[in-house]
Amino acid sequence: MRRYTKLFALVSVLALVAAACGGGGGETTTTAGEAPTTETTAAAPEETTTTAPPETTPPEEAVKVGMVFDIGGRGDQSFNDAAAAGLDRAVADFGIEPLELEPSAGGENREELLRLLSEQGVPLIFAIGFLFTDSVAAAAADFPDTKYGLIDSVVDAPNVASLVFAEEQGSFLVGAAAALKSQTGKIGFIGGVEIDLIKKFQAGFEAGVKAVNPDAEIIVQYVSQPPDFSGFNDPARGREIGTAMYEQGADVVYHAAGGTGGGLFEAAKEYSEANNTQVWAIGVDSDQYNQVDDALKPYILTSMLKRVDVAVYNTIEAFVNGEFQGGIVVFDLSVDGVGYSTSGGFVDDIVDQLEDFKAKIISGEIEVPTAPAA
Amino acid sequence: MRWRTVALRALAPITAVVFALLVASVALVLVDRNPLTAFVEMAKFAATLKSFISIMNRAYPLYISAIAVAIGFKMGLFNIGVEGQYLFASLLAAWVAASIALPGPLHVLVVLLVAIVVGSAWSGIAGVLKVTRGVHEVISTIMLNFIAFGLVSWLLANFLRQENQPGDLIIKTAEIPASGRFPSLNPLLAAIGLEPPRGSTWQGFLVVAVLLGIGYYLLVWRTRFGYELRASGINPGAARAAGVDPNAMVVKTMLLSGAFAGLVAIGPLLGFFNRYTLDFPRQLGFIGIGIALLGRNHPVGMFLGAVLWGFMDRSAQILDLNDIPREIVQIMQGVIVLAVVIAYEVVTRFVEREQVRAAAAATAIEAEQQEAEEARTS
Amino acid sequence: MEAMTGTGAAVTPAVELVAITKRFPGVIANRDVHLRVMPGEVHAVVGENGAGKSTLMKILYGMQQPDEGAILVDGTEQRFRSPKDAIDVGIGMVHQHFMLADNLTVLENVVLGSEPAKGFALDFQSARSDIVSLGERYGLVVDPDVLVEELAVGERQRVEILKVLYRGARILILDEPTAVLVPQEVDELFENLRGLKSEGVTIIFISHKLDEVLTIADQITVMRGGRTVATVAPEEVDAHRLAELMVGSELPTPEIRESTVTDVVELDVDGLTVVNDEGRRVLDDVSFSIRRGEVLGIAGVEGNGQRELVDALVGILRVSEGRVRLGDEDVTNRPTAQIRQLGVGLIPEDRHRQGLLLPSPLWENAMLGHQFGSPFMNGVWVDRAGARRRTREIIERFGVKAPGPDIPAVALSGGNQQKLVVGREMIAQPQVLIAAQPTRGIDVGAQAAVWEQIRVARAAGMAILLISADLEELIGLSDSLKVILRGRLVATLDPRSVTPEELGGYMTGVRSQEADA
Repeated sequence: MRRYTKLFALVSVLALVAAACGGGGGETTTTAGEAPTTETTAAAPEETTTTAPPETTPPEEAVKVGMVFDIGGRGDQSFNDAAAAGLDRAVADFGIEPLELEPSAGGENREELLRLLSEQGVPLIFAIGFLFTDSVAAAAADFPDTKYGLIDSVVDAPNVASLVFAEEQGSFLVGAAAALKSQTGKIGFIGGVEIDLIKKFQAGFEAGVKAVNPDAEIIVQYVSQPPDFSGFNDPARGREIGTAMYEQGADVVYHAAGGTGGGLFEAAKEYSEANNTQVWAIGVDSDQYNQVDDALKPYILTSMLKRVDVAVYNTIEAFVNGEFQGGIVVFDLSVDGVGYSTSGGFVDDIVDQLEDFKAKIISGEIEVPTAPAA
Repeated sequence: MRWRTVALRALAPITAVVFALLVASVALVLVDRNPLTAFVEMAKFAATLKSFISIMNRAYPLYISAIAVAIGFKMGLFNIGVEGQYLFASLLAAWVAASIALPGPLHVLVVLLVAIVVGSAWSGIAGVLKVTRGVHEVISTIMLNFIAFGLVSWLLANFLRQENQPGDLIIKTAEIPASGRFPSLNPLLAAIGLEPPRGSTWQGFLVVAVLLGIGYYLLVWRTRFGYELRASGINPGAARAAGVDPNAMVVKTMLLSGAFAGLVAIGPLLGFFNRYTLDFPRQLGFIGIGIALLGRNHPVGMFLGAVLWGFMDRSAQILDLNDIPREIVQIMQGVIVLAVVIAYEVVTRFVEREQVRAAAAATAIEAEQQEAEEARTS
Repeated sequence: MEAMTGTGAAVTPAVELVAITKRFPGVIANRDVHLRVMPGEVHAVVGENGAGKSTLMKILYGMQQPDEGAILVDGTEQRFRSPKDAIDVGIGMVHQHFMLADNLTVLENVVLGSEPAKGFALDFQSARSDIVSLGERYGLVVDPDVLVEELAVGERQRVEILKVLYRGARILILDEPTAVLVPQEVDELFENLRGLKSEGVTIIFISHKLDEVLTIADQITVMRGGRTVATVAPEEVDAHRLAELMVGSELPTPEIRESTVTDVVELDVDGLTVVNDEGRRVLDDVSFSIRRGEVLGIAGVEGNGQRELVDALVGILRVSEGRVRLGDEDVTNRPTAQIRQLGVGLIPEDRHRQGLLLPSPLWENAMLGHQFGSPFMNGVWVDRAGARRRTREIIERFGVKAPGPDIPAVALSGGNQQKLVVGREMIAQPQVLIAAQPTRGIDVGAQAAVWEQIRVARAAGMAILLISADLEELIGLSDSLKVILRGRLVATLDPRSVTPEELGGYMTGVRSQEADA
């Protein structure tokens, strides 16, 4: 999921100092958010994550690959880290030289950073997140010889690879899983920030639920409204909303809210223990079963996988092989760009049904909507 | 004595910067990097035309923000609400700018007016609350910030956004037509024979910022209103006895501070973004507080402070590429503001003590004479 | 000037000050001061405001160091670098303004700063019993567990005294202890003081209220102009004699001066009433008028409505009833700026609080209250050249000792600051000048200069309202004299015939004109 939040520091001075102190870390391996590099790697089904030496040892001049993260940068345990994981794997496999940048807190210098890398002669530059759309469009026009990889958004230019995901398809499958597992027929969805991107998750999820149980009731709540992006990193609110949903009778809740999801997992555990029952949470982006503390694992039914790392890795691979192509690249179920996780074995009994849905989506028999029904 | 005082006062910010460099050096050494390399890289990187433009573009909104804060400081009011004031003003200005069609300069003028009125009104609420209900402006402006953030989100998402093309995920206002944009200073570069770097726009609103700085100086130091404002800040009791209505002054000051605040991000709005988007610059209001402190509310001091900030923000970019943590710049910025506050305090006390001592020395002679005289007569 | 102490020389004084001199920039606060306080006596130090009492006590309590002279406690010479040194030899001070934390209990306040420790924990138990026994011994009964904010003023004062005793003081300095008390509380305080005295505590009692001093003191030392002029026993003197000693042997002879009073009324106040936030009438039906060339003096003990009167006249305080006319113009509740522009000058009673911008240059101070036009303004712009010119003029004409108009006001001595304030009001030649305590806290030379300026202005036709606590000043300068007591004007007196004693009687309410009549 997306980014870090903006801290509304009351006094700028303290904010600066705090940011300086807090920014350096990034080794925490707690519940929040997206795939830390190792897990993502381990979870990648089609990748042979060997420790074998790189196939292409760096020649005299290593290929430079730039990456401009979204706010929060590497170490955010979320979206940025997923992209970083792909980059790290590419470094290991292809011996490229990574150059990483991160915009200022307000994000207003995205374009400046893209241009900075472009001017340095970096031939391939990734922009992590749809907020880079306009910046990539501007930079790509001025640097036609530079290749850009844009995550989650589309820029129509020959030197831009727009790497988008069929989040609705993955969400459909976890929606189906939720409906299959639900006893109460009530199912929750927590969106981080109410933007079209997250509505895609919602739309697919709802469709998946209805495909199994047309009578199911779906409770939807978003944590924040744009341009306030705090909803992607507000575990306390996640816990609150999650608890409220469980109390309303929902027994499966899916979150598409980045770091906020950590709170949902806590809520699932607490509610289950307090009421001597079993409620479920569904993770997002990476296999969150592998990210959380052992105590929380029994409550994570599955996770909707969104393979940003694969997108990055594949694009770099194509580039070093001289096969980079501009245009839209959709990572959907057919290429395992999205999917669901099976860690924990909680969905083992319904895998057949899920695989059936998956096949139908790939074949086009089921068409998953990208916007929630009004 | 005057020059000595000026030199002493300049010493404070310089000391703070040097101190910040030292702290940053220590931090760099701790993470096993060479501080000298870092600083040289920063300086080298900043010494390009492109960097100059970037620094200026970054500095002038901060400068306007610092002025907005300084106006409050001058009368003893702490306007923490510049952040909310400018964001709210920018959103409405962006919406108005995209909604109207007027000939060039007039279009821009209307937009400026909207920004001023909105910023002013939002800040004025805090002033009125203080006067009528005794709510401290720090509390009310903080709260108004949160309300503004929420209001901006709600208005943008529900009313002021443009209908997006399918696939366009960014929520934004409609694009401002050409007549509503502010001209850039790139032609100026061309005129003096410099090729404006590709993709760099030297935002023309810098000129307005400088004019605002001059206006701030004239208003606060050269007019009766400014005199009364400063008098109220220095000694409210004396100002009151001198005929300054304290309540009216609070409201006027907040209105004025908000008017400046409203203009903080109008330059980037009309000269770069051309719309209010999710990426619209934030934190300018908070950083402005630091720069007002750094520049001691002085029009020139704050400008230098804003440029220093722009320089640090720009040169931070090169650090990542050299594998030096750019957080080092944030540490420096924090240390500078903290250190400068302390340094000013020390210098002020020193200067005051010296002045009193000098005056005492001058009058001591008089007292001795008087004593001798009285001894004679009694 | 030699002490008239009757005590035998065999007893060592508890406190003896010998030839103390203390200078401040531009002022000599104490010169050649002598004071002998015997053990177990109540020794009053009296004098007018600015006579040097406070400075002397600060020296004795270690808050200030004398330039010359010696302090002997029990016959041993002491050098106090701070109050701590004074406390260590058993001297304690009860300040006029209490230094208590409202939200703490009596017990906590008393031990604050000398907490009884038992390891790391506070030993409140032993402190409580200490306080209770102290209270019983000296008759200072206060419940140790009640919050200070719930106490009446008199009780708070008792806590202050307890606090000092708790620290082991045997010599108590009380700085104007009755200033904040109502009469019954004063009686209780005196009862407490007698109790302390019987337990052998030595008390130094600072006051300018003569009747109180005569009631409680065993010995009275009178200060005037920074010197100790006499030490007397209360049996030997009466209030009149004490007053004479305080203001100088010859009471100011009103100068033979021609009356400049005309019949043009410049300021007319009728039934002026101000009700404060708590609903109290801080000014009650005050009426007077001042004519061109007239000085009207207002006498009164501080805090009887003088400040409110000034504030109401210049439009700072809202007038509830009555009206204020300036010439023909009704200015009741007009904005201050308008009233000042109509020709009202103001010398505020506290120049630091209301009169000056201390960190600002002199020229900015010179325009304070006159920032409405020439010579300080040129259209909307500040006329810096004009302001500096005017400031130099003030410096020259009013003898302000300052190197130039650009130095900050804070660098001037108190007397010169006051001369600047007086100068800026005088030079503007207002129709009406309100002068509140115009010579407070300044040296004799500056005082004389200010008086002269007031006489000159009066002769030039200014109408002047003079509010002062200095009886000499009032009697010497006023054409007519009124006394303010609890917000009311209670007496109208003729300055040519009134004595300070009479005046004091009216000021304290001991006399009233109704009773006289």
